[in-house]
Amino acid sequence: MNAPPATTPVAPAPDKASGINWAEKRYLIVDDFVGVRQLLREALRSLGARHIDQASSGGEAIGLLARIQYDVILCDFNLGEGKSGQHVLEEARIRGLLMPSCVWLMVSAEKSVEAVMGAAEHQPDAYIIKPITEGVLLTRLNRAWQKKQIFQEIDQAYLEKDYLRAAKLCEAAAARNKLHEVDLLRMRATLLLKAGEPEQARAVYEKVLQERDFNWARTGVGKIRMANGDHEAARQMFQGVIAENRFYLDAYDQLAKSLQNMGRLQESCDVLERAAKLSPNSVPRQRALGVTALKLGNIALAEKAFRKCLQIGEYSIMKTVDAYFGLARVLGQKNDPKEALLLLAAAQRDFSGRMIELRSKITEGLVYHESGDYRRARKSGDELEEMLSGERERPDTPTCLEMATLLFAVGVKDAPVELLCYVVRNNDDNIVLHDEVQRIFDKARMGDEGAALIQSARKEASEMMNKGVLLWKTNKLPEAVAWMREARKSLPDNMRILFNSAQILISHMQAKGYDEALMTEANDVLMHVDRIAPGQQRFAQLIEQLQKLIPGRMSAEEIEAELSAALKVDHDEE
Amino acid sequence: MEDRAGSPELFMFLASTVHDMKNSISVLTGTLENLLVQAGDSAQDNPAYPQMAQMLYQTKRLNDHLIQLLALYKEVGRPDYPFDPTPVQVSELVDQLAAQQRVLLQSKGIRLTTEFPPDLIWTLDEDLVLGLLAHAINNAVRYTRDQIALTIREQDGFMEVRVEDNGAGFPPAMLQAGQVVGQGINFLTNSSGLGLYFASEVAKSHKHRQRQGSIALENGGTLGGGCFILRLP
Repeated sequence: MNAPPATTPVAPAPDKASGINWAEKRYLIVDDFVGVRQLLREALRSLGARHIDQASSGGEAIGLLARIQYDVILCDFNLGEGKSGQHVLEEARIRGLLMPSCVWLMVSAEKSVEAVMGAAEHQPDAYIIKPITEGVLLTRLNRAWQKKQIFQEIDQAYLEKDYLRAAKLCEAAAARNKLHEVDLLRMRATLLLKAGEPEQARAVYEKVLQERDFNWARTGVGKIRMANGDHEAARQMFQGVIAENRFYLDAYDQLAKSLQNMGRLQESCDVLERAAKLSPNSVPRQRALGVTALKLGNIALAEKAFRKCLQIGEYSIMKTVDAYFGLARVLGQKNDPKEALLLLAAAQRDFSGRMIELRSKITEGLVYHESGDYRRARKSGDELEEMLSGERERPDTPTCLEMATLLFAVGVKDAPVELLCYVVRNNDDNIVLHDEVQRIFDKARMGDEGAALIQSARKEASEMMNKGVLLWKTNKLPEAVAWMREARKSLPDNMRILFNSAQILISHMQAKGYDEALMTEANDVLMHVDRIAPGQQRFAQLIEQLQKLIPGRMSAEEIEAELSAALKVDHDEE
Repeated sequence: MEDRAGSPELFMFLASTVHDMKNSISVLTGTLENLLVQAGDSAQDNPAYPQMAQMLYQTKRLNDHLIQLLALYKEVGRPDYPFDPTPVQVSELVDQLAAQQRVLLQSKGIRLTTEFPPDLIWTLDEDLVLGLLAHAINNAVRYTRDQIALTIREQDGFMEVRVEDNGAGFPPAMLQAGQVVGQGINFLTNSSGLGLYFASEVAKSHKHRQRQGSIALENGGTLGGGCFILRLP
């Protein structure tokens, strides 16, 4: 089995018959140090490369990427002032400046926590540690390229949201490619989770864990536990991963989430603070820290997190308006409403939309109120009430809660009660949220009244759904469809109502035949679900059922089998 | 789970200084390698040639020490190092090492032979192991006469890497340092111990099924000189 002893050829960098013509590719080198750019250019030239562009800053790189399609990008992680290599990568990916086949190699002086343990959504194709030598460069280029080829079809299916097909492709590819097997299995598990198959995903993670104790696989099992509502078991798993590898940032973020889900805010905040210390340059993490600290009334910590968030956001496409609003609240509580209002003006300048206006107005009111200017706070509250009354739609849950808090504080009563009941009806099975709503009622000195309101709102929601399910089970399908349509109007974000709506629409078509309008309706409902809460267990199953209804996709017997299975499943659930 | 991060400002300062120094060393190494290649074999009689080869050797040592110092600072100042094991094709590991050392070895007139199972895949932190083995080869450059052998094989669930040379063998102090490394001995009292300590820490961070990696130093081996052995589970 062993190769015969061989004298290493003392010839130009050995290109292992990889079949890739690196000479014809188009390259971009991004580094702030001219010496390194020259060195990299020499290394690329020794591979035969002729088309090589250079950029000395992130901004310059983005300018080039917007105009020219590159095959290979060699980008330094640490670019001095301005955008970092990660910022450039994120912006290029989000703005769609990279071809799918483009290989991105991130160059860094040392193995940084961000680089290796980055829970960062956008990862380069490979990292290379300095000093770079031709041999390492060529090996990593070839490897990244081969990996791209293996993942090509899978990535395509992923983009089409056909998660189940992509997962099957992963399985087949893993059997053929020993070297990339672990990566393919990891991808497969991610896809199965997206497709609402957590048990299958868990099986993949557990298979990997039998071979090696990979942090991501253990964290993956924890995420499934959390998705199934077993927050305490999940917490223990994340804690275990951190105990073994203090740099695995994803586990911190997940641990914070599991604690949050159990209502343990202070601990969640502590975890985020530790993670932010290890890796301070993540916008989402600093935002989560700021929001949690603000909820806990830890003004100093919230201010630090939001300021850091703004600072990183300056160069990042991931910048968030939440940091502006959060910092404005902090400034209000520090009795500096002037500065806070400047920040709100900046938010409306840098971001746009009706939601931004609404949230600016809420924050303005809270700032006035918290800095003791009750007259102006009342005025903001009145303006907000007016904005609301002209609008039937309600914003997302956190915004509704903030708005209710403000309106109570400035002395309005009916509008916030209506908002809170709306929130509870839309989340009738989320106990932690009910507690939060109760606290808002308590603060407004409406504790008992609030408890009764929460109770009746929950009842209202479940009665509404039960009636729809009853109509469905007694086979009054058109009536069930019509009832659920009304239910969605009053509870547009209730997950159970949305899923059952889609299920009933599908049953209707299974029983009475395909109908273009019902098809569109079911599809719209599911896309709404995917927007407000992606990765749900039932989402992929319903999408698959829906796909099969398209004429010509399935035989009559299959439809019959699906129909009875669906009714049986629901019977077990309800 | 409390943090003992020490001084983050100092760490940031060190990290950015290292970043700068690494850039300089990259350029220095690259330039020297280019010069040596351009000079070609015919220049070997020129008295400047061996001096340049020596410069390249020293530059590589400088880089190794920088990597070690940084890792050690992280060990001391922070709880551990971001460790990232992935499956690696062993043949690619050898390719990268051979390519990294090619110019240096050629300029010093040293022959490198390699032997490894062509299909073997092992799970390891590629950059850490590459750094460790590059250091071992640099070290062998110092002790060898004219030959270095890099041999990899799989044995009893371990991957064993041997870096052997045909020199006079390691001095006794070095062998002794190799024996006590990782036993809590103060490596700072022994200069050759620093590299060994680093190598031992890297090896030990590789764990699998209750077993962990290790290093060893011997004299003898197939070439009769010094022999550095790395074993990873």
